[in-house]
Amino acid sequence: MKSFDYHEPKSLEEASSLLAELGKPASIIAGGTDLLVEIKEELRAVSHVVNIKRIAGLDWKSWDPEKGLRFGTLVTAREIETWPAVVKHYPNLRTAVSLLGSIQVRNRATVVGNICRASPSADTIPPLIADGAELTVYSNAGERVIPVEELFTGPGKTVLVPGDIVTGIHVPAPRARSGRAYIKHGRRKAMELATVGVAVSLERDGDTCADIRIALGAVAATPIRARTAEALLRGRSLDDDTLAAVAETAMQESTPISNVRASAAYRREMVGVLTRRAIGMAMGGIQ
Amino acid sequence: MTIHEKDIPQKTDFTVVGKSVKRSDTLEKVTGSAVYAGDIALPGMLHGKIKRCEIAHAQIKRIDTSKALALKGVKAVLTHENVPHVLHYGSPHPRSASCTKDQYIFDHRVRYWGEGVAAVAAVTEEIAEEALHLIEIEYEPLPAVFTIEEAMKPDAPLIYDNGLDHNNVLPPVVVRRGDIDKGFAEADLILENEFDLGRPTPAYMEPNVCVTQWDGNGKLTIWSSTQTAFMVRGALAEVLGVPLNKVRVVVDHMGGGFGAKQDLFQHEFLCALLARETAKPVRMEYTRKETFLGGRSRHPGKIWLKQGFTKDGRITARQARIVFNSGAYGSHSPGVTNVGTAAMTSLYRCENVDLEGRAIYTNTPIAGAFRGYGVVQTYFAIDLQVDEAAERLGFDPAEFKLKNAVREGDIAPSGHPIVGHGLEDCIRRGIEESDWVNVRKTSGGSGVKRRGWGIGCEMHGSSAYPGIKEQGNAIVKMNEDGTVTLLTGTAGLGTGAHTALSQIVAEELGVPFESIGVVQGDTDVVPWDIGAFASHTTYMGGRAAQIAAADVKRQVLSHAAPLLEAEADQLTIEGGVIRVTGTNRSMTLKDAVAPHRGIPAIQLVGVGTYTPTKSYSFGAHFVEVEVDTETGEVAVLQVIPVHEIGKVVHPIAAAGQIEGGIQQGIGHTLSEDYVIDLTTGRSLNPSFVDYKMPLSMDMPPIRTIILETAPDPGGPWGAKGVGEDPIIAIGPAIANAIHDAIGVRFHHYPITPENILDALRETTKEA
Amino acid sequence: MKLIVTMTVNGEERELAIPPSRTLLDVLRNEGGLTGTKKGCDVGDCGACTVMMDGKPVNACLVLGIEAEGTVIETIEGLQHAPDRPHLLQEKFMEHGGSQCGFCTPGIVMMAKALLDENPDPTDDEIRFALAGNICRCTGYTKIIDAVRATAETMRTQ
Repeated sequence: MKSFDYHEPKSLEEASSLLAELGKPASIIAGGTDLLVEIKEELRAVSHVVNIKRIAGLDWKSWDPEKGLRFGTLVTAREIETWPAVVKHYPNLRTAVSLLGSIQVRNRATVVGNICRASPSADTIPPLIADGAELTVYSNAGERVIPVEELFTGPGKTVLVPGDIVTGIHVPAPRARSGRAYIKHGRRKAMELATVGVAVSLERDGDTCADIRIALGAVAATPIRARTAEALLRGRSLDDDTLAAVAETAMQESTPISNVRASAAYRREMVGVLTRRAIGMAMGGIQ
Repeated sequence: MTIHEKDIPQKTDFTVVGKSVKRSDTLEKVTGSAVYAGDIALPGMLHGKIKRCEIAHAQIKRIDTSKALALKGVKAVLTHENVPHVLHYGSPHPRSASCTKDQYIFDHRVRYWGEGVAAVAAVTEEIAEEALHLIEIEYEPLPAVFTIEEAMKPDAPLIYDNGLDHNNVLPPVVVRRGDIDKGFAEADLILENEFDLGRPTPAYMEPNVCVTQWDGNGKLTIWSSTQTAFMVRGALAEVLGVPLNKVRVVVDHMGGGFGAKQDLFQHEFLCALLARETAKPVRMEYTRKETFLGGRSRHPGKIWLKQGFTKDGRITARQARIVFNSGAYGSHSPGVTNVGTAAMTSLYRCENVDLEGRAIYTNTPIAGAFRGYGVVQTYFAIDLQVDEAAERLGFDPAEFKLKNAVREGDIAPSGHPIVGHGLEDCIRRGIEESDWVNVRKTSGGSGVKRRGWGIGCEMHGSSAYPGIKEQGNAIVKMNEDGTVTLLTGTAGLGTGAHTALSQIVAEELGVPFESIGVVQGDTDVVPWDIGAFASHTTYMGGRAAQIAAADVKRQVLSHAAPLLEAEADQLTIEGGVIRVTGTNRSMTLKDAVAPHRGIPAIQLVGVGTYTPTKSYSFGAHFVEVEVDTETGEVAVLQVIPVHEIGKVVHPIAAAGQIEGGIQQGIGHTLSEDYVIDLTTGRSLNPSFVDYKMPLSMDMPPIRTIILETAPDPGGPWGAKGVGEDPIIAIGPAIANAIHDAIGVRFHHYPITPENILDALRETTKEA
Repeated sequence: MKLIVTMTVNGEERELAIPPSRTLLDVLRNEGGLTGTKKGCDVGDCGACTVMMDGKPVNACLVLGIEAEGTVIETIEGLQHAPDRPHLLQEKFMEHGGSQCGFCTPGIVMMAKALLDENPDPTDDEIRFALAGNICRCTGYTKIIDAVRATAETMRTQ
């Protein structure tokens, strides 16, 4: 692995100044499970690594039926996976984190890190977008809140600038009669990068779908919302024809690429199949 | 015609053989104390790295290593300009028609994307890596070809000038028997298909690695992860220009090989040269990516197959044209082409055959030896087409395969008559175990997820005969306390070979398994060995060990006879005690061989050499799959492998071979494919993320059944090989099961979800 | 530039001088002299380098050596009770043929230990799920699952 300078700031303020000063060649390490691979495979030129794990107060987590789920930037994927509140109330996020690499990886990887890496195929992003999650971002210029959905500008690219440190995440509490699901598609049952990821969060009102958010991974330059497809279902009843139209529209909204993992045509087709299946699962899981 | 000198000894009272004793190599493995080549660390050791080209075919115009050499910590840099330019075999073994002699350590030309072009030794791995970036190379690109079709065109660039046209690695292998025209004339049904073969790779867990050191007397020691230590010794000696007694190859434990580690790899030469140049030990380990780039895959390619069948279910003619893609070098292509082509004469009986096999150079990574050695490919084609014929003619596929299964006395691909009813036994037993007739009734349907059952069959030879006249050797020493030391040259690549050999020695000698110690993997110490491959270790190495044990036993008994006041032929050894038959006189082995006051211990050394011909093992796999017709995903739900392998020496180790082979075969058939970009020759998935091996959650339950119904007189107490067999039958079994589930026949592997959906769309269109 | 790192490895406090870019895997193997932990891919895909860090299984190839400052590391070498007394998992892997070439074995045994520490009565599916990040290319996993299941059964009856 290429050598780099290593820093261990003790406070957010110190970390933010350091990162702002070092600029692009500096990278935050939290879990490190993506960063170290990128350095080893020379996918990213990093001459400074800034470890934020020595900063106090970034590993908290809380659940409240009114306020929802909140957790700090250093909380690992495995902690989220095994957190009873997540298991009970966020089966979509639970599924996503439990399919992220192996247990060994999840014991190091953080959910915030998975988000900030901004991979179009990142597992945790679609369910968080579908649930309307927001990130809290610290900078010496001030703190701000960014919806996960608005974070990404391209593969590996976000609106964050050097000096920004995501400190935590908030996922709103599930509304009454809501259901949620995430389906990851890959060639194996584990250790996969999603070829397609579909997250659906919806609310039901009698026979109709009161609200729905569909988020798609690995089918565009960033994770996306299938807004036109959502609109077809919002306020409508869930019959087979509507479902087929929603699936078809979601397919049209995706702009996948072909690579060694799957062709664009196959990915698009899977968006249709999995959107339909995810809606069914979300309906079935209404609490 | 008889092929073996004598019948199998009718032994039934086994005490060690046939028992799953605690393997002698596993205590070290489970405790982490097993020493693999990469674990060797020597004082002052340097670290070597290879620079690899990023162009598929080019002449090297200029290499400038000055900046790399100037980097602090760099001790040496090698390129084609300062290494010996000696043509050598791609695989050091066997120096026969099986392998080509077409490689240099470095050439002034590169023939595939990822070939090594320079090597660095530095004080740390990090510095060596950094130095690679400082080596400047200017290439003159040459036209490149990546497919066999392109490479065989009359105007295709020649990748290697061996005097043959159209990039042929070897003259075509032609096998003809009977009258092919008459065969097709008799047929009621003729099937003709082209089969497209993917590029699976062995993906052993231990990356290629070696450590080299020259002593003050100019002697090289190399610790290397190789299946063929003596062959590495020979090749290194030849290329480096030193005698054999100046090269010592040490292999203790190795982390898998599956055939591919029979080849000589660039790093073994380079590491030796860097150590000589720097006068320091050097360690060189491939990264996982390099293990793909610089490793060896199974041969991709195409098989055109045409067979004729009669209404009453006979195969009257079999015609095939096999074209293997050898990649940039020949490696084992001659062997693979010969074995794969000859295999098509058998499995399912057919008197009229006309087969032609070729291997073609292309500018892609090297295809080499890999478990199943050409037969995986050709039996995939035969079995799938026979399965289809059964359906067309109204037969149950298992019954049809049973009806046509190779029989006792039939001539095998090696030219020997088949011994026993192995294949028939396997099919019959599998039909029973799977409840075949009933489960087949529930196949298919119209749901989203559809299930199906399939059967695939195989046979495979133990030993590389007749391609190579092989030889197994062993030395068995009895120590003065009655314990035994077995010296064997066969590599411990993970199969449990040394345990099996120890069991055979213990059985022959009449001593407990625990009395046997093994010395192995050091070319300075152990008897010459051809290497661990061709499913021959138990069959040939085991027989040699048995002969050596018998030799030492004779010596022990003639020494003990006067002590027991008996003739040697009256004596037996059981449980470490020598008894005089028909009397109650006995003494322990220890007492018999121990030094007595004033009398030193005697030398008790038995030597065994065995030159085998060939035996065949058989298998039939019964597989259930589930196909998701919306996503195209295929899940293998269960596998019932039935294998006939003669006398089983260690049941758990044998079953382990079968189950591991199935895992690799499921991967090859459904998800594993090392993909080369057809415009640049670049490898697209040299990693475990994108080279998709089935993992713990993907693997189905496997119900392994082993039969001992056709023991072969050539092996110890009738034992035969099992290493390669299980990877052959699983592929066709899966493909046939997919057909049973969704009614589509594929003629290629891997069968991807996209292929499934495309095929289902075609079916819908046709309907 | 090297930094001094202190960690407890298999019960023994170790002070090691390492460059910041060296992974815990390389530190354990080179500076630590503990070669039982294997490097199969170096990017977290194969699990051959699984060690316990503060009681949790991690890929040592994806942890920087310096990140191990102040932590407790357990490797395969520390698992057996005494040189002649292997851990029950190790016994069962031997008995059931869970190890062939052995290169993945240390990582799999450590991962299996992590599973049984948390869940003493796992189903086969739970065993397969826990071992999802450990590649074995020799066994087809059948005998590995057998070994883990048998360990759990014996542990429960002891």
